[in-house]
Amino acid sequence: MEQLKQELKEALIDTLNLEDMTPQEIDDAAPLFGDEGLGLDSIDALEIILILERNYGIRIEKPSEGKEIFYSVDTLAQFITANRTK
Amino acid sequence: MFEKAVYIHSIASIHPSVSEPADRIPGTRLKAEEPDYKQLIPNVGARRRMSRIIRMGVAAATRCLQEAGEAMQPDAILTATGLGCLEDTEKFMNSFLDNDEGLLAPTAFIQSTFNTIGGQIALLLGNHAYNNTYVHRAFSLESAILDAALLLAEGKASRVLAGSIDELTDTLFAILARFGCWRNAMAGEGAAFFLLADQPSAASLAQLKAIDMISSPEKPGEAYLHAFLKRYHAEEATILYPEEYKQYCGEYPTAMGFGLWYACRQIQEKGLPAVLLCNSFLDNHSLILLKQV
Repeated sequence: MEQLKQELKEALIDTLNLEDMTPQEIDDAAPLFGDEGLGLDSIDALEIILILERNYGIRIEKPSEGKEIFYSVDTLAQFITANRTK
Repeated sequence: MFEKAVYIHSIASIHPSVSEPADRIPGTRLKAEEPDYKQLIPNVGARRRMSRIIRMGVAAATRCLQEAGEAMQPDAILTATGLGCLEDTEKFMNSFLDNDEGLLAPTAFIQSTFNTIGGQIALLLGNHAYNNTYVHRAFSLESAILDAALLLAEGKASRVLAGSIDELTDTLFAILARFGCWRNAMAGEGAAFFLLADQPSAASLAQLKAIDMISSPEKPGEAYLHAFLKRYHAEEATILYPEEYKQYCGEYPTAMGFGLWYACRQIQEKGLPAVLLCNSFLDNHSLILLKQV
């Protein structure tokens, strides 16, 4: 799980171009969206959907669940572990 | 000639180094000297998504407004580009290939459109005024200036932010090299913005008197240039040929943006009463007549 979280953080930094940020600076439990935490927005959510599909073979079938799944690196990693196909 | 006077209040340019042009030979690739974007675009959220050309354009526009020395909103924002946001376009097109035409990332697509830079400037300023982007090869900046002059003449604007941006990517440089474009020219890039106004101010750098665009396989000759100057009663003007400023900025569709910045500096530093700025890019030739204020 720790390796997956590290991998996810690196993918987020690279894909979302989070300048001057290192994986260590991203708190596993901090919210990814909104004013607290990383402050990501809806375009970033689309990029994360692509990370899940390309890297782990996961399609988000119920968009309503997105808010819980995308809450933090912790919740993303748990979702990937339970649903990954590659 | 413009119906109403058009004054250049402030100017900002991001361009390759203007020193040691003697070392430069055809085929050289000139890269713009970029500023510290953190100072000019402090909004981290907006900056992280901007590609190089967008940063150059937004930073030049920001500097231009800062140079004007007042917190102001322009009445119109006009941008010009010959080839647009190439880096993002290439990224988006490559993702087509890499992902078998599926799973395309939204950011590169959004940022690849020609009017992204004008839109980003408006977003950062919170500006809801007229916003237009001109993409007419080497007539792009000239078209934007013409639009600005018309807005000022019609009284629809009193201050217009106008500028041009083009970037040189590895792919573009390689493709144009295969066409032989760099046999007699240096490859360049840059961003230049101007605050144009209908009234002079103490800080006005120059007055734009006239503009001309000619589509022809032949460059306008000396007779044409002198007839142009005579028509606008500016026979005393110094003619600034493309080679004189392109030795610094290189060749690109909107090199006229750097040319305009360079001409304004010549007027300021050498006290020239008038300058006729000439540009030629393939079959597009343009002239801009500037006068000291």
